[in-house]
Amino acid sequence: MKTKILVLASFLVILALFLFATQMPVGIITEEGDITEPFKDKISEAVSEAISVSEVPVDTAVVERAVALSIKILDDGQRTRLTYLFAAYIVIWLVFILYVFHLEQQQQRLDKRLAQLEPTSGDEEV
Amino acid sequence: MGNLTTRIIGVITAIFIFISLYLVFGYAAIESTMFEVQKIFYYHVSAALTVYLAFGLNCLFSVKYLIQRKPNDDLKAAAAAELGLIFCTIVLLSGPIWARYAWNTWWNWEPRLTSTLILWLMYIGYFILRSALAADKRRLYSAVLGVIAFIDVPIVHFATKFWKSEAHPERGAKFDIAPSMGHTFLVVFVTCILLFTLLLIVRYRIEKTHARYETVQQKHLGEAS
Repeated sequence: MKTKILVLASFLVILALFLFATQMPVGIITEEGDITEPFKDKISEAVSEAISVSEVPVDTAVVERAVALSIKILDDGQRTRLTYLFAAYIVIWLVFILYVFHLEQQQQRLDKRLAQLEPTSGDEEV
Repeated sequence: MGNLTTRIIGVITAIFIFISLYLVFGYAAIESTMFEVQKIFYYHVSAALTVYLAFGLNCLFSVKYLIQRKPNDDLKAAAAAELGLIFCTIVLLSGPIWARYAWNTWWNWEPRLTSTLILWLMYIGYFILRSALAADKRRLYSAVLGVIAFIDVPIVHFATKFWKSEAHPERGAKFDIAPSMGHTFLVVFVTCILLFTLLLIVRYRIEKTHARYETVQQKHLGEAS
């Protein structure tokens, strides 16, 4: 029974790791709304490329700002959705783990009581 | 069921839990309206279907007890009901988290939600009844209540057909889902069934130990008096 508890508990940890490793936002935008360093060059590169094919004059800084804001909206949305997803899965596995703990305790309590009573009683089956 | 069989089921369940979590978070496509939150659906719906199975088994063993009056059927019915209650709790807890994102409210008195809550309360009543009565009456009355409470299961299932619901899709509605989502749902559903089977075996053993304890205790009290 203890092995099962350990197995269930470790799955909770694996679940958390999966969530953080595969789904966590990459943090393109800082708290102040600026583009973080590794992405700044990539966004500038992409914006420059897009602007180069434009037939009308475009303010690069404005476009970069628009791109950054769009990413921030997407970033925040994903953060919120992941919070809900993470909360739901934590609740689901917490219920299972608490129930397994409850079963374990119940079994131990009954075994203890039976051991106290049985030496003086017969082996009566139900 | 022997210890070896239980261990084998335990190992298979553990493998399935691992695979199902990988599929949910690493393989299934992200749905286009609910995005990542839709991934709650896999365990939420699978747990709901397992609830039907658990309460169905409870009803089956309750009827069997009423016909044959074998105490073991009562123990099996109780074990299935408790597992049903656990899975129903999961449905009722994971649902509102989804609802908060999808409908901007934790709860609304929509037909399926309401009938599921009633179902949960009925089986809470089932256990209150069991804890309040002596063995003979407990078996008989809880078997009767088990059969009555099961009437709510088809009501939950057909709730969206009987009453117009804006929240849950109507029964039989067709969904255009990516194959990866279908595969994931199938594996999660099998995982829930395996988990249910494993916990049912463990719970039934505890029920049997408890019944044995009661018998020994009765005998002990009889000798003492």
